[in-house]
Amino acid sequence: MTDGGSGGTWGRAPAQLSQLLGLVEAALFDERDRSAFLEETARRLGASLHHGRTVRALVEMVIPKLADASVVVLPASGRRTHWHRAGPGDARSAGEVAVATLERVPKVADALYGLQPRPAVIRPREMAALDDVMPGELVRGEEALVVQLAAGGVPAGALIMLRGPERPRFDDADIELAHEFAVRAGLALATAALYSQQAHTIAVLQASMAPEPLPVADGLRLGAAYRPAAEALRISGDYYHVAPCPAGGVTFFFGDVSGKGAEAAVLAGQIRQSLRTLAKVKRGPDPLGDLRLLNDLVISAGHRFTTLVTGSARPCDDGSVQVEIASGGHLSPLVLRGDGRVTEIVCGGMLVGAVPDPSFGRREIRLGPGELMLLYSDGLTEARGGMSGREIYGDERLVDALAGCVGMQAPSVAERLELLTTEWLAGRPHDDISVLTLQAPPRTLPAPPRHGSPSHHQPGSPGAPGGPGGPRGPRGPGGSAGEGPGGPASTREPGSP
Amino acid sequence: MSVTGITDAVRADFDARLADADEGGALELAVGLVTSGVSAEDVLLGLVAPAQVRVGERWESGEWTVAREHAATHVSRLAVDAVASAARTAGRSGGSPGHVLVACVDGEWHVLPSHILAEVLRLRGFRVRALGGSVSPHELLSDVHQNGPDVVALSCTLTFNLPLAHRQIETCRCAGVPVITGGTGFGPGGVWAHALGADLYAPDARGAAEALLHHWPPVRCGESSVRAGAVEEYAALVRRRPELLAHLAHALRDVFPGLRDRPGTPGTPGTPCIPATSASPAWEHEEGTEFLGRLLDSLAAAVFVDDERVFTGQLAFATTYFSARSVDPRCLLAMTDALADPLRGSPRTLNTLSAGRRYLATRKPGSHRPQ
Repeated sequence: MTDGGSGGTWGRAPAQLSQLLGLVEAALFDERDRSAFLEETARRLGASLHHGRTVRALVEMVIPKLADASVVVLPASGRRTHWHRAGPGDARSAGEVAVATLERVPKVADALYGLQPRPAVIRPREMAALDDVMPGELVRGEEALVVQLAAGGVPAGALIMLRGPERPRFDDADIELAHEFAVRAGLALATAALYSQQAHTIAVLQASMAPEPLPVADGLRLGAAYRPAAEALRISGDYYHVAPCPAGGVTFFFGDVSGKGAEAAVLAGQIRQSLRTLAKVKRGPDPLGDLRLLNDLVISAGHRFTTLVTGSARPCDDGSVQVEIASGGHLSPLVLRGDGRVTEIVCGGMLVGAVPDPSFGRREIRLGPGELMLLYSDGLTEARGGMSGREIYGDERLVDALAGCVGMQAPSVAERLELLTTEWLAGRPHDDISVLTLQAPPRTLPAPPRHGSPSHHQPGSPGAPGGPGGPRGPRGPGGSAGEGPGGPASTREPGSP
Repeated sequence: MSVTGITDAVRADFDARLADADEGGALELAVGLVTSGVSAEDVLLGLVAPAQVRVGERWESGEWTVAREHAATHVSRLAVDAVASAARTAGRSGGSPGHVLVACVDGEWHVLPSHILAEVLRLRGFRVRALGGSVSPHELLSDVHQNGPDVVALSCTLTFNLPLAHRQIETCRCAGVPVITGGTGFGPGGVWAHALGADLYAPDARGAAEALLHHWPPVRCGESSVRAGAVEEYAALVRRRPELLAHLAHALRDVFPGLRDRPGTPGTPGTPCIPATSASPAWEHEEGTEFLGRLLDSLAAAVFVDDERVFTGQLAFATTYFSARSVDPRCLLAMTDALADPLRGSPRTLNTLSAGRRYLATRKPGSHRPQ
């Protein structure tokens, strides 16, 4: 062929094309890589609301994509502030640094105060001041990139990224990617910071509203269960308190504010505090007097009211326990007798805080050794569930369950009743559920009934508890066994014909 | 004396004290071992945990009532607390490798294994928060965000809770927190823990502590292998549960314990005494259907994790449970038969059901466990 020249041209063209295609492909690949990185950023940081976890995830994520080591400096609340660092390699550390030190590097200070919307390169000579927060071997001689982390106008921190000597410097594409990363990370960090502050406030309030641990009292056994409707918040309109008396025995109160959630919990907290103050200022137990005083207080507090049982329990020399209660419109306590009978302690009384001059009821009960009194809130008996999912748990089931608890200790009775209601609910929403049990210890070594209470015999019945223990074998973690088979009490004589 | 100081005689003694719900005696024995130099971990895992296995067996075999089992369990729990606090006063506590949140799966009330785990981890120096029995996903998520644990330890004892365990694991995964799992509910060797996407599994508390120390900080690496088709059929079973239960209650009314209508003999009501009786036919009926409900839940869980052993395991338990109470376990076969028709549109469920049927049909008397 004569036109070798044009042949040469043709020969070159595909080479250029494939070169071009190669470039396009590389750019596409690069872009895909960048968006995958940003997507992962959003996914990982979006999931965490815990501030510490978010910070730790954040410093780790830029390695190695953007940097070999990175530091987040958090906004200062005083003269010192916290920093978290990741890299080089697997190294992780955290500490505090003086704000004045950071301010010697204006770009870092600007980023920290939300005045540095674009990433900025810090020259090596500017970085000497950062010795405290930077891995020394990286600081020497290399540039760093600082980006502000913020959600709009709310500064959330400054991210400083460094590269080892063998990495190329930050180019325009890196700076753009760092900016995109910082936008997402800043939003996540600011959100987590806000959530953490609120969560802390709530935790403090929760702790002040949650029932205190039960005291240890000689000659008495106590148990309780507490399952608020707002399970994520652990606050409730149910409240109880048991306090030891200097002369022996305990005083207690148990109530249920109308409604649920934070509003009910606040009133419950006020009532608890008032009752505890009352206990400090008066000489002897006076449950009826307490209810009258409290009635005025609840009326003045607003439109809510409460049910309330107050009382005292005193161990006697013969091993029994003398209980006195006063009730303001609360569900009647139940008493489990030694033979499995369940007795309702009707006490009457009107709601506390509903009308100006209410009448309240008063009763005395003696618990023989092993016998138990149960106080509960209506969240227990009004739990909706069962086969249809709409049926209430009801008094009869509760009485039946309690009757099956002869021989059990006060704490395990409380837990068993909580278990049965929770299973009844099967994950459905519920009202606040609280249980308080008070028991005279068994006379000698307890001899739990081998065959349940007499009234439970039903020949030929397997009992069939709802939650069979499942396959047995080595248990774990802890390798332990089935406690609490989880089902209605089946106190039937085994193997009876 | 055995190497650990926990001899068979000591075990028998502890068992006897649990049987009597003898709190003082049991605690004295367990704490005495610790003060005499046996490690708290050995006491928890070598004495308390196996004793509790026997407590469960004595309920299962019908020897003990629920009340008696609970009374013994309560003493076990007090023993765990006492042993742990005795060991702490002895001054054994390491650094702080990290923060672990210990919780039971939603619906799981076997608290003791998680209780032992929490104490073993504390003794190894971990910072531990323990949420106790039946923790809802809400409560778990809220705690994870508030307290930022490095890892969540989930305990599951009953296999029919596996779908709920999956929700807990997913909740943690979304929040970016790795999960270590343990408990018989996760199957032999933790096979279902891995299927549900757990990051780590340990057969017991010591294994969990060592796995965490060895893999610290734990990372998310698990991947759920639960199939979309399985979830679909599982969802259908959950949705149809009331209808299926009603169908079973009717179909089995003459063969399944508790479902028979018989004249009730309610206790004599005496005011203000409430007749404490569960002898009425209504209650019998309720307990019978609840037992059936658990079998349905196991079927659903087996479909969910795509492993018939979840179902056959529950059938094995039910067989033992019935035999111990003089009930002919053939009523279980009637149950699998009665379900075949209403479930004919669900191939995975049908397969699991026939596996259950095969197990029941070929099961030799006296053999308690599916292979």
